[in-house]
Amino acid sequence: MEFTALFLAITIAMLAAWHGPRPVAIGLFAVILAACVATLLHHATDRLTLSF
Amino acid sequence: MTDTQAGTLNALALYGLALLLAAAFAAQLVLHELPCPLCLLQRILFALLAIGPILNIRFGPRPSHYALSLLTAVLGAAVSTRQVLLHILPGDAGYGSALLGHHYYTWALTGFIAAIVLLAAMLLFDRQFDHRAAPGVAPGKFAQGAVWLVVGLTALNVLSTLLECGFAACADNPIVYELLKQAS
Repeated sequence: MEFTALFLAITIAMLAAWHGPRPVAIGLFAVILAACVATLLHHATDRLTLSF
Repeated sequence: MTDTQAGTLNALALYGLALLLAAAFAAQLVLHELPCPLCLLQRILFALLAIGPILNIRFGPRPSHYALSLLTAVLGAAVSTRQVLLHILPGDAGYGSALLGHHYYTWALTGFIAAIVLLAAMLLFDRQFDHRAAPGVAPGKFAQGAVWLVVGLTALNVLSTLLECGFAACADNPIVYELLKQAS
């Protein structure tokens, strides 16, 4: 579900960048980037087995 | 490099991103390989890379627009490195099929690193920031086509991801479209 929301938010940010005010597009970008970092951290809790 | 030339290169970058998103769709639909959560996150970050070029085309090239794409590419490289490390153990077959000997997440890492290098190269040309096109000048059809293509492909990903994951968390190793399974 979070990935659907992220794709939707990016589509809206792209439309804001193309038609809307620049600060809105950049603000949306910042929120999405932070959400992507949070998603990565969430999925980085899996055990990582290394070969050394 | 003038701002017009920079605009053309930014439009080309958008066509490149659109090609990449379309290739990911082709792998999903033709090979029936559903993207895993980390794969989806990499696809999301490729789509997010497009915000900088769209702003450059509309408002003229600015270092801050390139910085948005640079931040995205660095995060994308981190995500794809994470997935490469998950499958680095000898004997691990990796996730999904390989293309020219490398899995998609390895190609994604290559793509994000290439984006970082290309963005840094674009920032070397200062003259693009000196001559801003007059406000209100509409971008050409080439650039408009690039923007709408990448917006359309990202919108299709909204639908595809909704079908794959439904309204719950995405499966670690998805094999069916959850929403279609619930409907049948």
